[in-house]
Amino acid sequence: MLGAVALEAGTYNVLAHVSGPSLILEFEQLGIGDAGSLDQVYPQVRAFLNSLQASSSIAELNARAARHVRDITGFDRVMIYQFDDQWNGTVVAENRNEALPSYLDLRFPASDIPAQARELYRLNRLRLIPDATYEPVAIVPEMNPATGAPVDLSLSLLRSVSPVHLEYMRNMGTPSSMSISIIDNGRLWGLISCHHSQPKVVPAHVRTACDFVGQMLAMQLSARFRNEEAVQRVGYQAIQSDLLASMAGEPFFIDGLKKNRDGLLRLTEASGAAIVFGGTVSRIGACPDEKDIQRIVAWLSSKADDAEVYATDCLSDHMEGAESFAEMASGLLAVSISQLHASYILWFRPEVIQTVTWGGDPSEKVRHGSDPQRLHPRKSFEQWKETVRLRSLKWTNVQRDVASAFRSTIVSIVMRKAEELAALNQELTRSNKELEAFSYSVSHDLRAPFRHIVGYAEMLKDKYGDQLDAKATRYINVIVESAGSAGKLVDDLLGFSQMGRMTVVPIRVDMNRLVKEVRDVLDTETNGRDIQWHIGDLHSVHGDPGMMRQVMQNLVSNAIKYTRGRDTAQISIDSEETPTETIISIKDNGVGFDMAYVDKLFGVFQRLHRVEDYEGTGIGLANVRRIMERHGGRAWAEGELNKGAAFHIALPRNQGA
Amino acid sequence: MKGLRPILLVEDNPKDLELTLEALERSQLANEVVTARDGVEALDWLFRRNSHEGRESNDPAVILLDLKLPRVDGLQVLEQIKNDEDMRHLPVVMLTASREESDLVKSYQLGVNAFVVKPVGFQEFFDAVRGLGVFWAVVNEPVPPRPRNQPMKVTEA
Repeated sequence: MLGAVALEAGTYNVLAHVSGPSLILEFEQLGIGDAGSLDQVYPQVRAFLNSLQASSSIAELNARAARHVRDITGFDRVMIYQFDDQWNGTVVAENRNEALPSYLDLRFPASDIPAQARELYRLNRLRLIPDATYEPVAIVPEMNPATGAPVDLSLSLLRSVSPVHLEYMRNMGTPSSMSISIIDNGRLWGLISCHHSQPKVVPAHVRTACDFVGQMLAMQLSARFRNEEAVQRVGYQAIQSDLLASMAGEPFFIDGLKKNRDGLLRLTEASGAAIVFGGTVSRIGACPDEKDIQRIVAWLSSKADDAEVYATDCLSDHMEGAESFAEMASGLLAVSISQLHASYILWFRPEVIQTVTWGGDPSEKVRHGSDPQRLHPRKSFEQWKETVRLRSLKWTNVQRDVASAFRSTIVSIVMRKAEELAALNQELTRSNKELEAFSYSVSHDLRAPFRHIVGYAEMLKDKYGDQLDAKATRYINVIVESAGSAGKLVDDLLGFSQMGRMTVVPIRVDMNRLVKEVRDVLDTETNGRDIQWHIGDLHSVHGDPGMMRQVMQNLVSNAIKYTRGRDTAQISIDSEETPTETIISIKDNGVGFDMAYVDKLFGVFQRLHRVEDYEGTGIGLANVRRIMERHGGRAWAEGELNKGAAFHIALPRNQGA
Repeated sequence: MKGLRPILLVEDNPKDLELTLEALERSQLANEVVTARDGVEALDWLFRRNSHEGRESNDPAVILLDLKLPRVDGLQVLEQIKNDEDMRHLPVVMLTASREESDLVKSYQLGVNAFVVKPVGFQEFFDAVRGLGVFWAVVNEPVPPRPRNQPMKVTEA
């Protein structure tokens, strides 16, 4: 800017710049009061500079810039317009009066400001159209006599603009506009875009002040963005620590995540999340249904480049059929948390259109009588909607990094759990071995003394019996009997502990034959008593034959034992089949038991009768239940005091047989 | 008593030894009973080594072998007998305090001829020992059983 010169036709502000081989001089007419210096707007510029420090966020910074530019220039509306990665634009801040409508949050497709135009904005930071209704004037001569080519007016202030742009302005009802480029590190970050409902001239010193404001804003934004990223990382770190605490508080880490739903979503600023682990899907927030999530997981794990972190803002571009749930999951950020299974944490973002709010009512009747098909912000908004269809907001680098770090945390938790399980397994094996060693030595060393007591007492009785009186003989008998029953107890206990370790080898067992054999063996126990047997045609079962024999022997022997007092003992054995089980039932009319103690019946060394009435060590039914459990079956009983008892065992039916 | 082969009883516990001898005594067997108190003694006697070098060759009718023994245990004794060309025909009966499944399996793998868990009741124990004695020392012999006219001879190996 060279300054004001007075010519015949009036006062002009003269600007000069070099364009190729030429020096271009521009003469801008000055109105009354237009001449001025930066000093006049300095207080406003300084106020802006001071306010920058006070701005706590980028949004506030933009809002202040818009207000100050409007203060300095007097435009009806000043907007801060920001480009995204694809050069779509958003109005992120606005300051206006009632003369022009609000465009805050309005989106514009990248095509509205094509690459060529953006490049001009980058090179020439300030553009002014005082009156869009101007008549263009041709340069004379058309060709530069020195070069024989048209003069390059790219950097000129007073050059004409494209007719399309002018039409756009007319349709917006803004005959006057000015834009100031916001350049961050050589990249066009955005524009300060000013409009006026009347033609408007902006004096040169004011323009310079605005350019200065624009540059200050750019510097602040760039610093703030870097700072904001650091703040964001710290924030995400805090959320992650919080999630980690939640996971540590639960035996199963997924339960911890489910309890801290909000944290999981905030971690990546997603609106929905899913945890897919060990085939189960846990859904949080707004996400596709389980079937669709399973499809996403199948697709993810089938990808050749099965990376640890996968992120897209347009899943339907990559995965077939993803359009159907684009409303909730256009954007996907996924981390794989297991090498062996298809286990993932998925974060979802909705289609971006779902998240956009435009202050101006999109359905509002178009004013100024413009045809809605013609160039107009409303049309831009519709076009923009098309370009972002099926797309979500982009996942930032920070968010990807956070997801990746979170993945590592979970993987280490999963691995630690696996190690703990392995250690536990080892510990169990060890204690099992110890138990085996224990029962081995019990069987050897505890049985021997009882055997010796019985042996020596018997020898005493045999050799010196004739020298003993009746009392001494009885004492010896009690010794023999007691040591004998203690030995029996040890044997039963050992048998019980072995039962838990023995391998179950199930085959088809003919229960009719088994019951007959068991009855034959136990025949001596009946001592010629009158017992009425009712034995049905029994179903075969699928079980270990040796163990099944023990079970039946126990139950039949019990039935014989507890019907001892009956004049006519009745014992019946029947079977039935359900779709899943074969049930064998043994009923008697013996002394029965009180149902209040039914839980004790199957316990080790639990007795419901006095030992002098009914002998036994109290281990038989414990063995029955244990054998049934080892077969994946059940054992239970019903009874009534002095009315009899019924014992049932159920074995799973072998599906293959 | 030529042709009547001895019974080798390998037992470390003195009480068990006394009770088993009593049971054998009551069985009225004519066979001599040789006792060994651990695996080493038993093997020395069988293979005529060390203190039994030059012993008159008289293989036992049956070996009653306890499982748990000091120094060389019952399973190792069994293994050496069954791995020896000249000894493997000798009947070996495991007479043990344990009904442990793994011992049973191992013994049969090594070629034991019988496995008997010592019953707690003396009568049952007596019956078992007499049964063993009669079967292996008498039934298994070509010579018919005859009543004994002198006390049972017990030799320590």
